[in-house]
Amino acid sequence: MSTERGTGVAEDDQGAAEGADPRPDTRRPRSVYGVGTEPDARFSLANERTALAWVRTGLGLVAGGVALTSFATFAGMPGVLDVVAGVACLVGACFAGYALVSWRRNERALRLREPLPAPSGLPVLVTGVVVLAVLLAGYAVGSATWP
Amino acid sequence: MSTDPGPAAGPPPRDEGLQPERTALSWQRTVLGVVLGSLVLAGAGLRAGSTVTVCAAAVVGVLALVPAVLRTPSGGLPGDGRLHSFAFLVRVVALVVALALVGAVWAFGRGAGAP
Repeated sequence: MSTERGTGVAEDDQGAAEGADPRPDTRRPRSVYGVGTEPDARFSLANERTALAWVRTGLGLVAGGVALTSFATFAGMPGVLDVVAGVACLVGACFAGYALVSWRRNERALRLREPLPAPSGLPVLVTGVVVLAVLLAGYAVGSATWP
Repeated sequence: MSTDPGPAAGPPPRDEGLQPERTALSWQRTVLGVVLGSLVLAGAGLRAGSTVTVCAAAVVGVLALVPAVLRTPSGGLPGDGRLHSFAFLVRVVALVVALALVGAVWAFGRGAGAP
């Protein structure tokens, strides 16, 4: 068995266009649902899961920042840890917001049958995690060698 | 079967790729993550004696949990065959941003010497 909404874009494209739902589409945002035609629901669900994965990535940074703040209560140089924790929280919020931007871009591309845009947030995420790791490694080395 | 096997005759068939189930589980993991994140922040605020942080974290946790319990995002197709995920997505992102702002304000406040 397959999904209710067709099993493949290539074979169902024409049929979906001809058998389009005649009811008015009032979903928001209109910048997404007001263009193109309805894609295969499985692609939209995959786009939804990708956006949720970005949200969870941001959430992980926020939780890590909060945990770092807890660690700062009994560690040396707490001011440094608190600043790093605050930055991690803010970057986490940015990635959560990026989830919405990414979802919108991908859904528009799906509806317009265009190639999916490149995941521009991924290099930023990798760079941010590397910077965070270097900062924490520097802190660990500094607190171990500091008299 | 004597009834008309039209498109509205019964529940939609299951997807062999289990995409609706995977999406529903993804939603549940995300909501659970928001609740756990708010619990971590509330616990940290409790240890530090910051009542404002504890209350803000508790509010975020309740706001994440209550809608998810009352109207669970199933990840499946609704009755009209159209996905309506954007409102839930905006709500979850807003909660994560709120949690991040509370955590950032608290962390920067501590870094600046505030209690």
